[in-house]
Amino acid sequence: MKTPAIVTDFRTGLASGELLIQNCKDCGKPNMWPRYACPHCQSDNLGWVKSAGRGVLHSFCVLRQGAPDGFEDDLPYAIGVVKLAEGVQLLARLEASGEDDWSAYGCDDAVEFVAVDGAEIERRPCATFRRVG
Amino acid sequence: MAENWQLHVDAGQENDPLFVGVGEIPSGKYPDRGFIEALTKVAILALNDAGMVPRDIDTILLIPCLHSGEDQADLVFSRMVEELGIHGSCKSSYMVHSGGSTSDNAARAAHGLIATGHAHNVLVLQCERWGSADLNAMITMLSKNGIPGEWELPTGIQFNAIGAMIMRRYMHASGSTAEEMASVCVTLRKWANLNENAMFYTKPLTVEQILASRMVADPLHSFECPPMADGAVAFVMTSTGIAKKRGISHGIRVAGSGGCVSHYCLSQEADQAVLGWPLAAERAWNQSGWGPKDAHIGEIYDSYAAVTAIALEGIGICEKGEGARWFAAGHGDPGGKLPMNTNGGLLSAGHTGVGGGTALLVEGIRQLLHRAPAGRQVEHCERAIIGGTGGSYMDAQILLLERTRLGG
Repeated sequence: MKTPAIVTDFRTGLASGELLIQNCKDCGKPNMWPRYACPHCQSDNLGWVKSAGRGVLHSFCVLRQGAPDGFEDDLPYAIGVVKLAEGVQLLARLEASGEDDWSAYGCDDAVEFVAVDGAEIERRPCATFRRVG
Repeated sequence: MAENWQLHVDAGQENDPLFVGVGEIPSGKYPDRGFIEALTKVAILALNDAGMVPRDIDTILLIPCLHSGEDQADLVFSRMVEELGIHGSCKSSYMVHSGGSTSDNAARAAHGLIATGHAHNVLVLQCERWGSADLNAMITMLSKNGIPGEWELPTGIQFNAIGAMIMRRYMHASGSTAEEMASVCVTLRKWANLNENAMFYTKPLTVEQILASRMVADPLHSFECPPMADGAVAFVMTSTGIAKKRGISHGIRVAGSGGCVSHYCLSQEADQAVLGWPLAAERAWNQSGWGPKDAHIGEIYDSYAAVTAIALEGIGICEKGEGARWFAAGHGDPGGKLPMNTNGGLLSAGHTGVGGGTALLVEGIRQLLHRAPAGRQVEHCERAIIGGTGGSYMDAQILLLERTRLGG
């Protein structure tokens, strides 16, 4: 099946260093994850806005073993849920502060979106964040 | 939220549905025990317990298995009807599936079928072979189930990562220590040590052992992860009218039920330390006519310690933020003020996939029927809180069960 436009558009944004948030052109509300119809008003008149990339870390973990197929070489890696200032939230990778070190991270820490190069987005089409301060 | 959402069957009504029998075989690693063989065994055990024979059953509800699509297809296409020799008379056989909370929804489905007259006697069957399945294949399967492939699979998320994130948020919100989190697992192990059918019946467990075990997904230790197990359970439901005619003296009725589907992806949950439990509990307690202090046992889904601690708080068994410390104080232990997960739960009886919650429900029914073995049977057990969830902990499901004596 052809990859849906809401997926390719979102990933194209990531590859060009932008975190996109789907925005309903009728009711004006943001949607994450992007939807096929606005879950607030059911409109299919949907577009994109660029996120400011700032938010807080709701929770996270550092996976050390038991990676899914194809992720074994990434271990250890950290993933967390980020609540963006725009009012939506998403799952993202967290950048290590040092060599495989996420010990500085805590719940409710301020985090910011990190632009990752296109080749890495091709391999892992997901957003990355890092701790601020 | 003001809701007036009542059940339309009352205690003693002829069409009030009752649980009247359970069956179970040991959980653990049983590679030589066949899937259909196990299902047949628990079906007969549950029917014997209910004082019934297969011909009494008109409806079979199937709890899915996750280890094999082919075995699941055998269930869906009514194999158990023929195995039990009720082809030709059985009215319908079908699957109910909502992951870990399936047992709650299967019980609701049976309850509705019986109350409305679509079914008389319902047999609910479950078997899983996770303990004998290829571990890597199961990890990969579970990394794709309940996780949106296009949005979250690329992060490398899997089930222990989901449990670990909930645990971290819960520890942050409640101030619970690693020792207090580990104590939940220790309580469950104490119960498993009283259950011959539990995977860890003969193995004790301490907080020190848990904290010394390797870190799997910070802050989650390996001994805090659910052990994948083979297992099978079954239960039988009928109506009050039929139970009376059959001379059954006691049955277990549904006093109340409530649920909340709070998200699909964990990333979309508003508060990982709360989940859907408060709304599910409000709905359930509004129906039951009794409250958390009236319960004698709890059987609440425990794939991870934090999941159960959060549920206890939402249900109102303890104060907000006190779930893990409630366990650390021994309140859920054998002899504690509210015995919790008296079969050892998923964490110590074994995680039998969708069956983990079913085993908890079956244990709740068994305790209320006063048919648990001496030493594990909770005295004067009249009311139970059953809680189910699963997957990305997308839903919270509560059944409030009560023992009832059948007059006449």
